[in-house]
Amino acid sequence: MRDREPPRDRDGELVRLMIAYQAGGLDAFTQLYAELAGELRRYFAAIVDSGAVQDLMQDTFLEIHRSRRTYLPPLPVVPWVFGIARNVLGRHRRAAWRRRRSEERAIAPGDEKRWSTGPPPPPSMALDACDFDAALRRLPAGRRRVWMLRHIHGLSFQEIGDRLRIGAAAAKLRSSRAMKTLRMALAGAPDPASGCPPAKRAGEDR
Amino acid sequence: MVTGDRQVPASLLSAVRRDLRPVRPLAAPLRRALALLPIGLALLVGVPAVWGWRANFSALGLAAAWGLSGAQTLAGLLIVGAALREAVPGRELSARYIAATLGAAAALFVGSTLVTYQLAPVVQPSVWVRGAWECFWMEAVSSLPVFAATVWLASRALPSRPALAGAIHGLGAGLMTEAGVRLFCRVSTPAHVLLSHGGAILLLGVAGALIATLVEKWKARKH
Repeated sequence: MRDREPPRDRDGELVRLMIAYQAGGLDAFTQLYAELAGELRRYFAAIVDSGAVQDLMQDTFLEIHRSRRTYLPPLPVVPWVFGIARNVLGRHRRAAWRRRRSEERAIAPGDEKRWSTGPPPPPSMALDACDFDAALRRLPAGRRRVWMLRHIHGLSFQEIGDRLRIGAAAAKLRSSRAMKTLRMALAGAPDPASGCPPAKRAGEDR
Repeated sequence: MVTGDRQVPASLLSAVRRDLRPVRPLAAPLRRALALLPIGLALLVGVPAVWGWRANFSALGLAAAWGLSGAQTLAGLLIVGAALREAVPGRELSARYIAATLGAAAALFVGSTLVTYQLAPVVQPSVWVRGAWECFWMEAVSSLPVFAATVWLASRALPSRPALAGAIHGLGAGLMTEAGVRLFCRVSTPAHVLLSHGGAILLLGVAGALIATLVEKWKARKH
């Protein structure tokens, strides 16, 4: 029945939740999230690659939380939320542009060689390295960058956050998601597009 | 998928829970702009009182002196109100609204200049060039209190287009300052007023755009 309600009622409900949220109600926030997350996800999914959607969702709701006083009741909530989403998206694009530029300049040629043209690994490791290289390349740029800074350059999450202008928690989240994706990619079937032969499971060489 | 969409991630929930104090919503943009009225009135009276009243003040008459300056103060406040609205997410101004607001402000500024020139012309050769630099900096310096106040008001919001919002703030602050400066500056040659006084207003617009952009960058880095 709820789906059949006219939009005006939903607007009223969102305004009521927003006022309760500004008054400090956690339940109101969780209900607002439930009401708005789907729309925001579709909005971001239509614009950016799927790997960045979750990060943008999280950043948007964090920004909504920080800026909740800028909502002026009883104005409609949805335009305000999407105004913030556009703001977050703009920051994300600027950060991605800066990151691409700094990656092009800052990553030493040695780092590239390490993954593609370095000395040939021992035969037992060759296939794994090739798979890994392909899996790493398939990661979204933001996650790949964090993962490399963490696991190759050995930076702390705080240092990564400072360098990429994101929070330490966001850096940790991206690194963790990158690691999860890599594990899944390496455990699963080989990607024909990578040009690598099928990965060997541990113990297959014996 | 729908279930996942409706459930708040644990990390987000804990971040929200950590800082869930009640907040008071910002007042409506125009009400916040009206909070600058005392500063606007102080500039209107204070600038000529401090720097000196223009020698040909009496030639202007009540309407052209206080009336036009009062209108400029009011227009400056309305422009600041528009900038404060632009800084609220989801309430961004349309291009037509911005063009109409700034066009009306420019028409008021140019109109005031021409009326002043008609009523109290100062046609000494080259005097407008000599005084240009002085007026330019005097207006820029005099605007600092209202400029600082508008920057503070802007920094509390979240503009999607910080450069635009900051530029409008700066132009509004500049027009409010001009309301007082025109009661001090005796040179009414349009070239002087448009270049020197108008240049200072434009400088404030550029400074506003720059500061608002920097503030937003700083806020983004802070989080």
